[in-house]
Formats: sequence, C-alpha cells, structure tokens
Amino acid sequence: MTPTTPAAIDSRGLTKHYGSTVALDRVDFQVPTGTVFGVIGPNGAGKTTTMRLLLDIIRPTSGEVSVLGADPRSGGPSLRRRIGFLPGELHLGGRGSGRELLRHYARISGGVPADRIEQLGDRLGVDLSRPVRKLSKGNKQKVGLIQAFMHEPELLVLDEPTSGLDPLVQQEFLTMVREAKAAGQTVFLSSHVLSEVQQAADEVAILRDGRIATIATVKQLRETAVRHVRVVVAEEDAGALAATLSASPGISAIGQSPLGPAEGESEFTATIDAHVDDFVKALAQHPIIDLAIEEPELEESVMRYYDGSDAPRPTDDDEEDAR
Amino acid sequence: MNGTLALFRRVFANSWRGLIGWIVGLSGALLLYLPLYSSFGADGEFEAIIDSLPEGLVNTLGYDQLGTGAGYAQGTFFGLIGFVLLTIAVVGWGTSAIASDEENGQLELTLAHAVSRGRVLVERTAAIVVKLAIIGVVVVGLTWALNEPSDLGMEPMHIVAGTVTMLGLTMLSASASLGVGAMTGSRTWSIGAGAGIAVVGYVLTAVGNQSEDLEWLHRFSPYSWAWDENPLAVGADWGSLGLLYGLSLVLLVAGWLVFRRRDVAI
Repeated sequence: MTPTTPAAIDSRGLTKHYGSTVALDRVDFQVPTGTVFGVIGPNGAGKTTTMRLLLDIIRPTSGEVSVLGADPRSGGPSLRRRIGFLPGELHLGGRGSGRELLRHYARISGGVPADRIEQLGDRLGVDLSRPVRKLSKGNKQKVGLIQAFMHEPELLVLDEPTSGLDPLVQQEFLTMVREAKAAGQTVFLSSHVLSEVQQAADEVAILRDGRIATIATVKQLRETAVRHVRVVVAEEDAGALAATLSASPGISAIGQSPLGPAEGESEFTATIDAHVDDFVKALAQHPIIDLAIEEPELEESVMRYYDGSDAPRPTDDDEEDAR
Repeated sequence: MNGTLALFRRVFANSWRGLIGWIVGLSGALLLYLPLYSSFGADGEFEAIIDSLPEGLVNTLGYDQLGTGAGYAQGTFFGLIGFVLLTIAVVGWGTSAIASDEENGQLELTLAHAVSRGRVLVERTAAIVVKLAIIGVVVVGLTWALNEPSDLGMEPMHIVAGTVTMLGLTMLSASASLGVGAMTGSRTWSIGAGAGIAVVGYVLTAVGNQSEDLEWLHRFSPYSWAWDENPLAVGADWGSLGLLYGLSLVLLVAGWLVFRRRDVAI
C-alpha cells in the first residue's frame, strides 16, 4: 500500500445509467496492487455493474476507471489476458466436458501451464470429464473458478465467487485467494454478505443504490460494530446499574428483564458500539454476578449501511477525505 | 496451447452433429426430387400437369419453368426445399452466433477473455461461411451425380452457379441474423431479421409473379435477385451474386459497428 505502487483498480466518478435507471453513481475507490478488496451490498447495489465495467463488457456513462494501469476500453484483449473473471451469473454451455471448455478458454487466454487445469480440478473436487451442461450449480461454479484462476492473472475479478459452494470448498477457495495474494495478485471480489469476504479481504467497500456507503478495513468495521451484552446483578443493585448504563456513552437498547436468571437477581441486556472500555469501567463500579459480551455483529452493522439508516462512521478519520 | 481460430473451432466442436444432420436432410431432398424428373418430367408429362393448374398458383410457386431440367431443379430444390431448409439452418446459426449466446449469458464470459468483439464476430461468421461451403460442395456433387441419370441436362458450371446463388441467398439471411443479433443482442430480433428477409423476399416474388403491373416488386426481393436470371439454366449472374453477397457483407459490417460500441448482456 505504499503510495508509489499504482493501484490495480482506480475508479473515479464512475457512473452507469441504463436508460433512466442509475446503476452506479459517481463511484470512487482504489484497489491497491497485491491486496484483496471486497465489495458487498444488496441485490441491485451495483456490484455486478462495477465488475462488468472493469472487463469492458459494458461502458461507463461518465467517469473513468483504470485497470492495471489501462483503460478497459482501449486495453482490449491484451488487458483482459491479465485479468481472471468469474461472472455473477455463471452460464456454461456447449456440448463438451468441463475439461474441453476450460481448454477452449485456455487457448484464448494463453499462458496456462499444461497440468494447471487438472490440478485446480482436483483441488476443488470437480469431475472435469463430465459434460459441463450436466454439472450441478456448485460444480459449474468450480469450473468458473478454474477458468478465472488458471492463467494466474494479475487481477482476479470474482462476482459472488462462493455462491453455490459447500463450506469445505468455500474454505479451499479462501485459501486460493490467500495464495493469490501471497503471489502478488490482486483480488476484487463481491458478496451479498460480509461473512463471505471478511476472512479474505483487506478492505471492504459497502455499496448501496449505486453509491459507496463506506470503505473500511474489516478491523474498522469490527470496531464500529454493535456488540450485544448481558449483565446480571443482584436485585438491590439493579437501580444503580440502570442509572450507570443510561449515563454511559455508546450504550443503547437497554432492557431489563423483570425476572433474573435466579431468585434475587436482575438481568440487563444492551448493545454497545466501540466504547467497550468505557462500558467495562462503568460496570466495575457495581458488584457483577455475570457478564457476557458477544462477538461483534459485523453483519448487523453492515445491514445498517444497506438500509440507509444512520450508520456509525468508521473510526479512520481520513475516511471522509478518501471519499 | 494454440489459440489460432479458437472460437471458430469451438463452433465446430459444438455443432458438427447438427451440420451432418442438415447435410443428410438436404441430400435426402435432392435424392428424392431430382430423380423424379426422368420418370415423368422429361417427356412433357410435367408440362401437361402444370397446364392443368390455375395460372395464379403456377406463378405463385414459380413453376412456369418446371418443364426444363434446370427449371425443375430450381422449382423443387434450389428455389424451394433446399432454400427453405438452408434458411432454417442459417437463421439458427446466425442467431446462436451472438444473440443466443448473449441471452443465455455465455457471451459475457467469452468477451471477458482475451478476444476482441470483432474477432468473435469474424470467427463465428467464418464458421457459418465454411459450413455453407461444405454444404455447397455436397449439393454440387450430388446434383452433378444425379444430373445425367435424371435427364436434367444441366451444365456442370451452371450447377455450381445455381448452388452459389442459393448459398448467397441463404448467406443473406445468415448475415441478417448475425448482424441484427450483434446490434441488438436479442434472439427474437435476430431470428426475425434472418427469417424475415427470406419470407419477405419470397412473398414479393410470388406477388410480383401475379401480373406485369406488380413485377416491379421483384426489384426489392432477394429471392428474385437470385433466381430471375435462371442461373441453373444460363450460368452465374454476377450482378445478382454481387448484390446478395455484397448486402450480406454490409449487414455484417453494420452489426460489427454497433456491436463494438454497445453494452453486452444487460
């Protein structure tokens, strides 16, 4: 991420209209070379549109994007040779086997080592001798992943790569992404949900209605994420604790169960944001019977970006400038 | 791995079975129709049958030349069954080259690889041209073989001319399907363009045959461009061939000009 390394993808004011529909509205982001960048958002947020623009399958209405230092429009076949692409809606056809289809794409892309297709096929566990038309959705997805990875491209553009894959293969896929990163390749991948990208991605952009809601690292998202807490105190301490909780910063949705877990006890639930330290120190004034702080609900915090409600800003102060 | 003509070869890998099917069908039609001429066409029996039919029907079907071997071959195979079968085949091929491939989502992935849109169009057009050429060789060979036993009395070079004319007429439909598919990405428009140009041409010719007042309609009919000069009887008419193949090229170039600029798979 040194400033001297040119970005693998540099999007400035990228805009795409389909008739009167705005699919993408002045989107700015940079994907540093050699990093894994995730883009998440609900259906119709503009993830697929962004990826198709990178591959020159569609052309921007305005704005510009540079991919591996070139304009996709003028970069042509020689630029696309350096990219591996997995479409979001993968359709594989033709009469032949998976192997024949992959060899066809390898002939076009060039630079695929002879045994590479078989290696990847074994690794992902797909029978490449079967007719591609008869493969299940998950196995087609594996063939799609192989054609994206097989020529070891500098940039991988993967639209919902884990869709249809079973958990074991998802893990294998994440390993492949890590290996690609270690080999200096850049990975740009999308998902509906954060959990699919959070293990692999260095940075995540959240896209909503064709705009970037935020760009943050997974760590930053974690810091802003809500945590559900549960506190049990003796009944006589409940009033004092309630007062402390409502006076502390970053604590919301405070609830008190009328009946505690045991006789003479009182249970509070609440959600807290990044102020874990404040919360613990405030609690320390009281005798605590039980305390549980759950893992941060990243998905929940991302959902707040999805529906456009007031989401906490990532703690990185430069964020505003970067946008 | 060698990438030369990868897309061209892929078309054949996927569709050689279909090509064989069309060759079998066309050969069957030739073998069925042409030998019939010797059994009752050559001695004037046909002319008697034609004379007994209403004149309007004979003109509509273009059967006025049926009494000669060349007229019979054109009226049954080259201008009718062969033309219809080949048109169905090429509209299918022309539509699948871009429009079907785009609608079923496979074109997106192909274009994401190291190919230009021009190369996709050129190689897939070349595949159709080569398929038509293979069919042409079979049609010429079979017609030439049946020519003498069936008493058709056609010159070998005229058989070639008639076949190249039929291929030109069907290439026009193929190019309309390809070109419009490349422009719109729509299967419906692609089929409509290829089939439409064939049907409209045939109808204009048939209506134009009804009276001399309507004969001007022939000027707008590719079917008339192809057959009005009777290539099977008198040899190639270079003007007609130029029109058929030239217009095919225009449609393909027009398709390419739009295809290279437009959004795919939206």
